[in-house]
Amino acid sequence: MSTEHSAAADLPVDVVTSSHSSAQAHLQGNQLGLCLCPVCKKLNRTTNSHCRRCYSSLSTRNYASVQQSWALLVTATILLVLANVYPITLLTNRGVVTNDTIFSGISHLVQTGMIPIAIIVFTASILVPWLKIVGLATYLAAISFDLPISKRKLMVGFHIIEWIGRWSMLDLFVISLTVALVNMGQLLDAKPAPAATAFALVILLTQLAAKVLDTRLLWDRLEKTHDTN
Amino acid sequence: MTQIESPKVVKKKLFSPIWLLPVVALILGAWLGVKSIKESGIEIVIHFPSAAGIDIGKTLVKYQGLTVGKVSDIGIDDDLKGVNVKVVMDYRADPFLNKNTLFWLVKPKASITGVEGLDTLFSGNYIAIQPGDGRSATEFEAQREAPAILPGSEGIMVELKSPKLGSIDVGSPVFFRQVPVGSVVSYRLDGNKQIIISAFVQEQYTHLVHKDSRFWNVSGLKIDASFSGIKVNTESIASILAGGISFDNGSETEKAQNGDTYTLFQDEQTAIGGITFTLSTDSAEDISEGTSIVYRGITVGNIDKKQLNEQTVLLSARVEHQYKNLITPDSRFWLSGAELSLKTIKNVGRLITGSVINVLPGTQAPAEQMQFELAKQAPDLLNDAKLILNLVADSHSGISNGAQVRYKQLPIGQVLSVNLSDDFAHVEYQIEILPEFKNLVTEGSFFVPESALSIDASLDGVQVATRDLTTMLEGAISLVPAKNKTLVQSNSTLLLHESIAVAKSLSAQQQMMTLQLNSIDGADLVEGSPIYYKKMQIGAVSKVNWQADTDRFLIAINIDKKFKPLIKPNTLFWRNSAVKIKADLSGVDIDVSPLKGAINGGITLGHLDGKTNSEAQADLMLYDSEELALMQAKVIELTLPVSAKVAAKTAIRYQGHQIGEISQVKLEPTLTSLKAKAYLYGAYAEHFSRADSEYFIVDAQISLAGISAPETLLTGPYIGVIPGKNNNTSKQFVAQLHARLDANIAANALRFQLTSKQLGSLKVGTPLFFRGINIGQIDGYRLADSGVDITLFAHVEPEYAHLVNTSSQFWNASGIKIDVGLFSGAKVETQSLETILAGGIAIATRDVTNEANTLSENDRIILHDKMAEEWAQWQPEQTK
Repeated sequence: MSTEHSAAADLPVDVVTSSHSSAQAHLQGNQLGLCLCPVCKKLNRTTNSHCRRCYSSLSTRNYASVQQSWALLVTATILLVLANVYPITLLTNRGVVTNDTIFSGISHLVQTGMIPIAIIVFTASILVPWLKIVGLATYLAAISFDLPISKRKLMVGFHIIEWIGRWSMLDLFVISLTVALVNMGQLLDAKPAPAATAFALVILLTQLAAKVLDTRLLWDRLEKTHDTN
Repeated sequence: MTQIESPKVVKKKLFSPIWLLPVVALILGAWLGVKSIKESGIEIVIHFPSAAGIDIGKTLVKYQGLTVGKVSDIGIDDDLKGVNVKVVMDYRADPFLNKNTLFWLVKPKASITGVEGLDTLFSGNYIAIQPGDGRSATEFEAQREAPAILPGSEGIMVELKSPKLGSIDVGSPVFFRQVPVGSVVSYRLDGNKQIIISAFVQEQYTHLVHKDSRFWNVSGLKIDASFSGIKVNTESIASILAGGISFDNGSETEKAQNGDTYTLFQDEQTAIGGITFTLSTDSAEDISEGTSIVYRGITVGNIDKKQLNEQTVLLSARVEHQYKNLITPDSRFWLSGAELSLKTIKNVGRLITGSVINVLPGTQAPAEQMQFELAKQAPDLLNDAKLILNLVADSHSGISNGAQVRYKQLPIGQVLSVNLSDDFAHVEYQIEILPEFKNLVTEGSFFVPESALSIDASLDGVQVATRDLTTMLEGAISLVPAKNKTLVQSNSTLLLHESIAVAKSLSAQQQMMTLQLNSIDGADLVEGSPIYYKKMQIGAVSKVNWQADTDRFLIAINIDKKFKPLIKPNTLFWRNSAVKIKADLSGVDIDVSPLKGAINGGITLGHLDGKTNSEAQADLMLYDSEELALMQAKVIELTLPVSAKVAAKTAIRYQGHQIGEISQVKLEPTLTSLKAKAYLYGAYAEHFSRADSEYFIVDAQISLAGISAPETLLTGPYIGVIPGKNNNTSKQFVAQLHARLDANIAANALRFQLTSKQLGSLKVGTPLFFRGINIGQIDGYRLADSGVDITLFAHVEPEYAHLVNTSSQFWNASGIKIDVGLFSGAKVETQSLETILAGGIAIATRDVTNEANTLSENDRIILHDKMAEEWAQWQPEQTK
């Protein structure tokens, strides 16, 4: 707490001197006693408890977000396990009901020779969620346990995760399309299986985990790390 | 700057509520995990003979349409005898996986009864499971076919026994009132005699099957076309093609249990049957399978089957349940068809529908295994009180069963049956007399048939009598009661006469005396030919019988007893001739017998005056004519040469006197002789029937000497006879063409022989003259064996015998001897004109005849050509 306090005390100086030194380039609003309204992005003084524009509460750093992110990430991880173990679709073909897990679906695609699609599905359904979770876990770990990872690597990874994360809904998109289009009763019918829900939750939770996380904490940490290094 | 902000004490929460999220996820995941582990299924192995139709991952195990497992792997078993199919079963199926659990493969099956396992067309074959009990198990042997009891079927299974399967197949429907309520699930042979068909009835219909339900085969289309109509029976199209079983719900309330056994009947009729029994009858005519059994016009049953027994026809009959009380051991059955007569028209429909069998229920308690007689007639409840009589007639007079028995044209009973008697000699009628008329029938009563139309055309006139139509159609019998008071017992035998007249005549006949007449021919007599005495009928011929052994006829005659005194020892019978014309020089006598006698023939009875009939009474002769009769003619038989020109009526004469006559001549089949029957008049018969009597034919012989037997020129030849001396009599004689040479020679005539060089004009019959008087004649001649002379046989009549002796000279006096001398002149010598024409022998005797010079038969005397002068001088004085 003391370090935070000192940092806070130093902030105005930093703000003032930011244009002069390299240290100034890494000067944070926090150090200048300024903070952004998380809702309307109005720059407020940190002394203000509420945004002067929209009256949402202000805080310089949301330290609870790490915990929340962790929790969401853990949940997503559990659900991702379930989503991979349990069948994601229930395909009734001429009365024969086939349960397909994500992996069996991909291997089926591989068996039928549709390798490009298999790669896409694999990426979207397995690679991306796992990458995201691993990535998020890495960041959270980096925040929580001060892991010595270079700022540049983290930045690149974070961008990739953010960009690719939206594509992980591809699987669900395919399923929902299939369910809507393939509905011929006993002859041919597709239905989402429990894993689909889990998978959807995984995507949702990972998105939330990424969203909830106050990335400023990460940058705080990165700055420190940079300094110490 | 120094302002020290009071430190914000932020109470750091140890756990943000957000952590509930992973916890929830964990719990969810754990739950899912536990659940999936729990539901992960049980792996079992089913051994199939073949993996055909089973796919890994596709073939499911289904129970009642619910998937409870899936084939996960197929492997060949160790001894290459089949495949082991690994199945992952639903965890919930665990309780079912016991030792007796059955698995079998269900394939699509399209049969006439329906398409089975149609879902398998899309979902593929599946493995069906039928849970069983026993220990929990994981290895199973698959069934080859679906087990009898379908899994989860809550109905009942009944076993039906049938002698044959018919068109019943697995899947054939079971109907109740044509509603399919189940199906045949299996059948199997029980031994080699019967088939056990397992039929399943669905649960909602199980209450229909009772302990006494009856099952029957409704397979196919049953068309029963008979006179009872055309009956087409079928349950449904499916059953036509695939067979089916139907049942009723019986009458008991007790419901059937699973596994109950029933008999599968061949058809509904047999099944619904009620009680069955057999009827025996002589002939199953008019009875077809399906003939109704009727009680008071209501059909209560049918004939199921006709069967030929050794003696009878057995009819299997069946009466419906609700009428079973009608059938008791004393029930009676009879056949009744349409009655179509002028009297009644009844049940015309049965002409089309056929006859029916009527039943009259008895009073006893019903019993099992009943057998009845099928009567041809309705039983008569008055039977016991009725008088049953047997009538005997010589011939059937057109009276049919049911014909009325009448008394004074009032029906008093009816004819029950008409039969030939056991020895075929008579016709027997059984009749019944209604109780109230019993007293009419007394001993001595008889019956006569009524003829609807009796035309009695006789010489007495034509009588036409008609009766009502019934009589005309059925005939009727009339009772002719006797005056007797004794009642007739039941089952006694009475007579049925042809008519009252016949009856009367018969009864009169009993008052008659019967005689047997012996005749050589039928004498033109018939039954009823009259017998007259002095042209009054006193009797009639009752029978004419031919006796094969003697070729004679025995004629039985009946003569009224009142004429008995006429039958005396000297009674004779002769045949009546219609017309007898006796024409002679004294006039013509025409005797015409009564017309009836003239037509029918007839016999006349007469008496021999003062004499007794030599024949025994028992063997009376029937003579051909009165004369013969009065002569008491005897019959002999003559064999004649075929050239004999004899005919009937040819006389048999002895020395010109008729002593008999030929009655009949016929040519023997050998063509060499004739057989003649002849009568010898009784008075002479004794002499001429002696064994050595000689018969010969006398014909006219015309010669220069005259005509012998000239009468035969008019009458034709007759038979001559020479009486015999033998004591033996005979009835058979052979007649010669000519009489024996010495036939007419008296026994004491003087016989001798003459020898001559030439026969000249001598011949048999040439007379011997003594002083111009014919005293004898030449009887024959013979050329001597040496050829030097001829021997003439001659005789001299007894009265002249003493005129001839050894001193007699014989010379030929034939012709005219003319001696012409120049000086003596002409001398013409002749005996008589006869000798001129026929020749003759003259005799002159010198000595007086005495014993010493008597001629004997073997003496040969020379016949001189001419007379010596001195012979004319001989004048012995002979004494006789």
